[in-house]
Amino acid sequence: MTAPTCPNCGAERIPGATFCEACAFEFTDVLPDDTDATTAGPPDGGVAPAQSFPGAVPVEAAATPVTAPRGEESPLDVGWTGPVASDTGSDAAANGAAAATGEGAACRQCSDGHYLDGYCDTCGAKQPDPRDHYIEEPAPWVAGVCDIGRRHRRNEDALALAADTASGSFAALVVCDGVSNSTDSHVASLAAVRAARDVLRKPLPQGVGTKSSIVAAAEQRLADAVAAAEEAVAITTREAGEEAVESPPSCTFVAVLVAEDTAVSGNVGDSRAYWLPDADTSSALQLSVDDSFAAAQMNAGVPRKEAESSTGAHAITRWLGVDHPEDGAPHTREVDLSEDGWVLVCSDGLWNYCSDASDLQRLVHETVERLGDAGRNPLALAQALTDFANESGGADNVTVALARVGETHTVEAPETTKGTP
Amino acid sequence: MAQFTAEIFQNEFLPDGGTDVHAIVRVTCRGAGQAGQTGLTDAAEIIIVDTSGSMGESGIVQGRNAATAALNEITDGTWFAVIAGNHVGTLVFPYPGGPQQMVRMDQSTRQAAIASMQSFRADGGTAMGTWLTKAREVFATVPQASQRHAILLTDGANEHETPDQLTRSIHDATGVFQCDCRGLGDRWQVDEVRRIASALLGTVDLIPAPQAMAAEFQSLVRKSMARGVANVELRVWTPQGAQTLFVKQVAPNLEDLTSRRTVVNPLTAGYPTGAWADESRDYHVAVRLSAKSVGQEQLAARVQVALGDEVQTQALVKATWSNDEALTTRIDDQVARYTGKAELAQMIQDGLAAKAAGRDDDATSKLGRAVQLANEAGDQEMTSRLRKVVDIDNAETGTVRLKKGVDRLDEMALDTASTKTTRVRK
Repeated sequence: MTAPTCPNCGAERIPGATFCEACAFEFTDVLPDDTDATTAGPPDGGVAPAQSFPGAVPVEAAATPVTAPRGEESPLDVGWTGPVASDTGSDAAANGAAAATGEGAACRQCSDGHYLDGYCDTCGAKQPDPRDHYIEEPAPWVAGVCDIGRRHRRNEDALALAADTASGSFAALVVCDGVSNSTDSHVASLAAVRAARDVLRKPLPQGVGTKSSIVAAAEQRLADAVAAAEEAVAITTREAGEEAVESPPSCTFVAVLVAEDTAVSGNVGDSRAYWLPDADTSSALQLSVDDSFAAAQMNAGVPRKEAESSTGAHAITRWLGVDHPEDGAPHTREVDLSEDGWVLVCSDGLWNYCSDASDLQRLVHETVERLGDAGRNPLALAQALTDFANESGGADNVTVALARVGETHTVEAPETTKGTP
Repeated sequence: MAQFTAEIFQNEFLPDGGTDVHAIVRVTCRGAGQAGQTGLTDAAEIIIVDTSGSMGESGIVQGRNAATAALNEITDGTWFAVIAGNHVGTLVFPYPGGPQQMVRMDQSTRQAAIASMQSFRADGGTAMGTWLTKAREVFATVPQASQRHAILLTDGANEHETPDQLTRSIHDATGVFQCDCRGLGDRWQVDEVRRIASALLGTVDLIPAPQAMAAEFQSLVRKSMARGVANVELRVWTPQGAQTLFVKQVAPNLEDLTSRRTVVNPLTAGYPTGAWADESRDYHVAVRLSAKSVGQEQLAARVQVALGDEVQTQALVKATWSNDEALTTRIDDQVARYTGKAELAQMIQDGLAAKAAGRDDDATSKLGRAVQLANEAGDQEMTSRLRKVVDIDNAETGTVRLKKGVDRLDEMALDTASTKTTRVRK
């Protein structure tokens, strides 16, 4: 078989690529990815040996970490560690996550026992890992849920939030999705989100009055946050030592910085940020740009549904990690928060089940309606959307973070201890 | 100080609705030290030699040689005594009527003990219960020696007391001392002596000829002296509502511990395992749980090693329910191997018992199954032992014929070997 070549320069074409690696000529079609070994993440969810690519990064599917393999699950992924509270009241969600889970804590399965060595000393039930489900709610208008889902045995997603009390004044929402089967990616993702949040929560330079200057400052801050997250992943890699040589920890990155009624998103990989206005007449937007094989296919004209459900759709083309592609700059985009709505930041554990921005907008509207008053509470809505993903299959870890713009329902709750993974 | 470690071999995946969890727990002891030398407890050793009439003059001489070899292996400072057994158990050394019934080993007591055995005469019957009772009484005079071990040599069936009397003596001695038993020649009863050894956490074996006795005794005492950690307890915690189906030692020899259960606390059972040298022992633990939904994981057992009240090590037996047949149908290699071994031992013992009782059809089918199992396991040694008792037409199907005129020693060797297991590294 002769390999297809670029019509412009004659260089060999890479399956899945939307433009020529040699001359950057844009193709009008995409080669089908029938050569599994080179175009898709392994179907068992394993990660092909990752490598860095020289120069600007074309859509190259040869060494692609997979955040959520669609195919068969690895034997390690058959279990889930327990039901997530489906109670959508944020009280229950908060209290559920706040329940003491350390050694010696009371067993949540039986009335008599206590956790001893990861298991109950009376009924033997496995102690839930606080890393498997946690929430953050830095302000009444900003909250998020990070959940293991129903199929994975480890929560490799991570969430970190920061916000000032006044709605719309300042918030940072960060989500990272650890790459399956790379060493310690659950450690790396958590380190990454926290490092990024710590960068993002430093105040922007004061007196940058104009909107364009705010956006510029936010974009710079997002780039700094990516760099900090990257460094945190690198530290995890060093700490993992020998084990990490084969498949060093890596993760995606998405963050939204809200400042003075403007939201700026930045992302690397396929975790997403959306702007979902309350008004049906206003268009919902996906702010992030996927670095994925599916996105490459869509760019080439393959319909979203088809592209996102194809084998290797979740193969990502950029990520954070010591083996990352050279171009690490986040895709950025800003949106004016002049009308009421939701800023939503999520991992593919959610958007697997509702990808298109307008579909997601409809889902949010329906969910808010169903929840009544509580629907305008970000934590309640985040939990409800997490439940939606789990009830839809929960095939991957699910993370949902929300910032409410406009009227917010505040839950009268005592000081809650936030889940601490 | 001795270090214990425990590792688990199991397939934790259960099918939907599955309830029974099987695991092999390998317990390893390192740094055991020498018996009586660790400062925690003194050690005591009693040599019990059969002096019944059936031993004959040459048997007595060999018995004396064997006991001498044993005495030479006992570490200085160890409390010891020698008992002669026929239809009664008699303390031979220290000299009866003296101030003590046990003395510490040193150069002069060793020589005196060896000299005392000149008085051995082949005379009288066999009542092993009385020997055990005498040993128990003698051990009781040295309460500071809590590591107690005896070697019992017999050459005949227990004809001079009732089975009930023997049972009572075994019962009274259980937990007081450990006892390794050796049968000389072909007139003793394997199952009878096994009863003693098993209850007293010891081994049973056959010594075909008197000349082999000295080497065997030497090795037994050497092993006993290498056991520096006394009174080790295996503990098995199971969840509320769960049922422990069995706890068996499966290596180095098969021993069902289930009935030796003592209560540590409402969820934890204790099983005495006696004294340990630097060694590994494998245990097969089977627990029945109530089934949980697919995807759930729970602990099925905590298997612990305890010295007194202190838990030295722990290993966790888990259960995870899964729909994935590739996971749930797999049987752990170690579990499979030892399950096969246990069935093989049972078939051999039942088959020989049936044969002795004249139930030839039953014996043929049981021994045939044994041949089949040994063949499947690739157990050459057991196959060749079985071959001395049956003619094998087809090992794969277990088709055999009982041999005529089998040497009784071969049958006994097969019987005593049935519970020994060789370990294969995973």
